[in-house]
Amino acid sequence: MATASEITWKNLLTLMLSVSAAAALISNAPADDEAIFPMPTGKTYVNECGSCHTAYAPGLLPARSWRKMMGELGNHFGEDASLEEPQRLEILKHLELLAADGSQANMRMRRINGAIAAGAAPQRISETGYFKYMHDEVPAYIWKRKKIGTLANCIACHTRANEGRYGEREVRIPQ
Amino acid sequence: MNKLVLSLLLVASSAQADTQQQILDGLVAQAGSASPARGEKLFRGKFTGGKAADSCTACHTENAKSAGQHVKTHKAIDPIAPVAQKDRFTDAAKVEKWFKRNCQEVLGRACTPQEKADFTAYMISVK
Repeated sequence: MATASEITWKNLLTLMLSVSAAAALISNAPADDEAIFPMPTGKTYVNECGSCHTAYAPGLLPARSWRKMMGELGNHFGEDASLEEPQRLEILKHLELLAADGSQANMRMRRINGAIAAGAAPQRISETGYFKYMHDEVPAYIWKRKKIGTLANCIACHTRANEGRYGEREVRIPQ
Repeated sequence: MNKLVLSLLLVASSAQADTQQQILDGLVAQAGSASPARGEKLFRGKFTGGKAADSCTACHTENAKSAGQHVKTHKAIDPIAPVAQKDRFTDAAKVEKWFKRNCQEVLGRACTPQEKADFTAYMISVK
């Protein structure tokens, strides 16, 4: 049983040292502020995919999700988003390379992939466990704002989403 | 020396995008004519053939000079009238791509050369 007499200077010093060591570790760790995903090079991806919606970072879904999507562009969430074959293949190549389970995946992308069942090929990023976890504090009335409107509208709040930047510091929630 | 400058200028200008008038001329060459008034009617018309939207204005708003918003994804759309967004109707391939896409989504069919010429003539006429 600890008593007041046991709070010695030595104990206090140890406590202070461990608190500052922990603080140093935390401040050196990559924060959520640095949620940066690699994006396809060139303009095809942003021009073709990003003209109707956010040019989603490929690292938000595994390669099998992208393959399925790029094979069904004639019915892309109810719309015909068909591409010319050279563009389709170019985009698919980038998506596979930079996917959440791609060879270049960073820690965050691995976590995204880890939360998706091995047999599943989700088509909506907003249905992945990581997305839900990261947005669970956003109340429904915010999503309903006219300038946001849908979970798919990343760029409404993540103003630099088309550059793969989803850091919390760069979030601007429109009124 | 003057010749060199002139040829450099020619190279530079040929690398640039088309003007809106050139785009319109190309469409009129296929349609025979263009009517801004008919184009405006098309822009403001309501249709039932498409799956995504019932009109151009559903996304582009009633005012062609205003920024719009995609009905489904809510992504912001730059104004469609060149007077408000100067790179509109300056890339023939892009113009064709969006006619193909959006005529299908609103009308449920491809637009005719006449419709494309009229629509473009209207957009260029918006001041």
